[in-house]
Amino acid sequence: MPIIVNLDVMLAKRKMKSKDLAETIGITTANLSILKSGKARAIRFSTLEAICKALECQPSDILEYVKE
Amino acid sequence: MKNNTTILTVITYAVLLSAVSILLNDLREFDLQQFKEFQNWAKTANKSENWFTSKNAIKWSYYAISTGLFFWRAYLIYGFTYFLSILSEVDKGHYFSDNNIKYFRKIGNIFIAYTINVLVLRFLLALIGKSSFNFFTEYKAEFTLLIPCALAFYLLAEIFKHAKETKEENDLTI
Repeated sequence: MPIIVNLDVMLAKRKMKSKDLAETIGITTANLSILKSGKARAIRFSTLEAICKALECQPSDILEYVKE
Repeated sequence: MKNNTTILTVITYAVLLSAVSILLNDLREFDLQQFKEFQNWAKTANKSENWFTSKNAIKWSYYAISTGLFFWRAYLIYGFTYFLSILSEVDKGHYFSDNNIKYFRKIGNIFIAYTINVLVLRFLLALIGKSSFNFFTEYKAEFTLLIPCALAFYLLAEIFKHAKETKEENDLTI
């Protein structure tokens, strides 16, 4: 898929653990793992909003379009 | 849901057991009433007579077709056992599983195969007995209702296939 999820990068920048982020935004670590690995088919605006709020970033910091 | 599937499983078992017992009883009656007669006839049958043009062919065909009819009835009962498999999947919470889609298709196939084969065998029986065979009269018989049922099962299989895809999509939406 040409959409890359840079959640790992943002987590490293904010020095935050996946487990903590999952707890903060209210999703399971399994679902966060699906999102990080790029296996997710879609992301809800509410989840994106919660991630941006927790990591103090913009959606573009997490999602990136790369031409195939 | 658990209670409903348990009730449905019990009903399905009851239907299956009664269908099997009716089939076994018919087989027993067939043996007792007709097979002895057939055995007696086989002992006295003229073996030098040409097989195809003789009564031999008619008698053997009659028994072969009757056996075929019993086989297809047993096959239909086997088809009904897939309901138990579906109920078991539902009980486990696997509503839109690949197995359920496969079982719905199999039930559809069995219903269609049963109806077509029984129609063909009835036609052959009428041919051997030199009685009249009217396709539309036969087609009005109750067992042909299985064709729309089979189509309904194919439709269910398609609906479940789409439901499975939608569920997967939903599960992978974070």
